[in-house]
Amino acid sequence: MSNRSWKEFSKGFIVENPTFVQALGMCPTLATTTSAKNGFGMGLAATAVLVMSNIVISLLRKTVPEKIRIPIFITIIASFVTIVDLLMHAYVYDLWKTLGLFIPLIVVNCIIMGRAEAFASKNNVWYSFLDGLGMGLGFTASLTLLGAVRELLGSGTLFDITIWGKAFNVFIMILPPGAYLTLGLLAAFFAFIGMKRKERGNNK
Amino acid sequence: MKEIIKTGLILMIFTLVAGLALGLIYKITEKPIQDAELQNVLNAVEFVLTDNGNLMVDKDLISKKINESVSETEKEIFKTDKAAVLTPVLKFDFNDKTIYVLKAYGIGYGGKVITIASFIVQNGRIDLHAIKVIEYSQETPGLGAKIAEENSQERFYPIPYEGLENGVKVDKDAGKSNLDPEEAKKIGVVKISDVMTGATITPRAVANSIQAMFEYLKTEVVSNVE
Repeated sequence: MSNRSWKEFSKGFIVENPTFVQALGMCPTLATTTSAKNGFGMGLAATAVLVMSNIVISLLRKTVPEKIRIPIFITIIASFVTIVDLLMHAYVYDLWKTLGLFIPLIVVNCIIMGRAEAFASKNNVWYSFLDGLGMGLGFTASLTLLGAVRELLGSGTLFDITIWGKAFNVFIMILPPGAYLTLGLLAAFFAFIGMKRKERGNNK
Repeated sequence: MKEIIKTGLILMIFTLVAGLALGLIYKITEKPIQDAELQNVLNAVEFVLTDNGNLMVDKDLISKKINESVSETEKEIFKTDKAAVLTPVLKFDFNDKTIYVLKAYGIGYGGKVITIASFIVQNGRIDLHAIKVIEYSQETPGLGAKIAEENSQERFYPIPYEGLENGVKVDKDAGKSNLDPEEAKKIGVVKISDVMTGATITPRAVANSIQAMFEYLKTEVVSNVE
C-alpha cells in the first residue's frame, strides 16, 4: 500500500476520527450506543453504506452535473441505505429489530454526505474506497468504544457478557445524559492525544 | 429551457436506475424476509407454549397452524381504547386444558409493540401462561427496546385469572413499585420499573396488549368463565 493509500485509509481512525474529532453523525452516535453490540452493528451498517456510496459517487463524479450533484448523491446514498436495511432485515433479523429506525436514518448521517461531497466527488475510486472504509471503520470503532464504556458502567456487561453484573451500575450511563458524558470525556481524550502528537512533532 | 429539461432527464435516469436496483434487491430479499418474520413468529409461539422446558403441543402441529394462517390477511378482531387483538387466534388442546395463543399490539414510544401470549383455559379460569414481544423495532435502543430482553419479559407472566381480572398494569401506573415481582403478578401488577427504568411507555403497551387479549377471550371466546 502506497503512502497516500495508507494515509487515506488510516486518517479516519484517530487524526480525522469522524466522531471524536470531526463530531459528525452525532444522532446515531448518541442514540444507539447503549451497548457495544448496538454500536458495532450500527457502525458496520454505516460503513457498508459509506464504502458503497463513495465508490459509486467517485465513479460518477465526472458525469454528475455540478448543479444537481446533491440530489443525485442523496439518491445514491438513500438507495444503498435501503439495500442495507433490506439485507439486514433478511439476514440479521435480531440486530435489524434492535437498531430499528436508526438504519433508515443513515441516509441523513452527515459522515456519508460529508465524505461524498468532500472526498469521493473529487478523488478516484481507489482512494474513495479507502477513505470510505477508513472513515467507516473509525466510526465503527468510536461507536463500539462508546457503547462498551456505557454498557460496562451502566449494565456491568460487555457485548452481553456479564463482567461485574449489578455489583456496580451507574444507570445514567445508558440514558441520554450518559451518552453526552461519555462522548465528552472520550472527545477530550482524543483531543489530548492530538495535542501530544502535535507537541512531539514540534519537538522533532 | 433546454438546460432544465436536460437536468430533469439526468435526475430521472439516476432515480430510474436506483429504483431498478432497489426492485432487484427487494425481489432477492423478499423470501428471506418472509422466512425471517415467519421464524420469528414460530419461535415466539413455541416459546409461549413451553412449560418447564417442554413443549405442551406437538411442534409439527404448531408449524402447521402457523403456516396455514400465513396466507390470511392480518385483521384486528377486538379493540380496546389502548390495544387491539389481531388474527390469527390459535387454539390447542393439552390434557384437559385448552390453550389459546393470541397476538395483540399496543402503542409504544415509536409505534406498534406486538406481543404474542398464551392463555390456559381450565375449570372456568383464564390464566396467562407466557408472553413474547415480537415487534419493538421502533422503540429506543437501550430504553424501550430493552423489552426484548428475557428478564424484562419474564416480569409479565404468569398472571393468574384474579390478576387479569384486576386489570394488568405496570407498577408505576398501579402505584405499587415496592412489591416483589412475583407477588405483584398475583394482583395483575407488572413490576418492571427496576429492569426498564426510564421507559414506561413500552411495557405499558405490552400490559395493555395482554389486557386486550384477556378481554377478548373472556367476552368473545370462552363462554363459561367463572
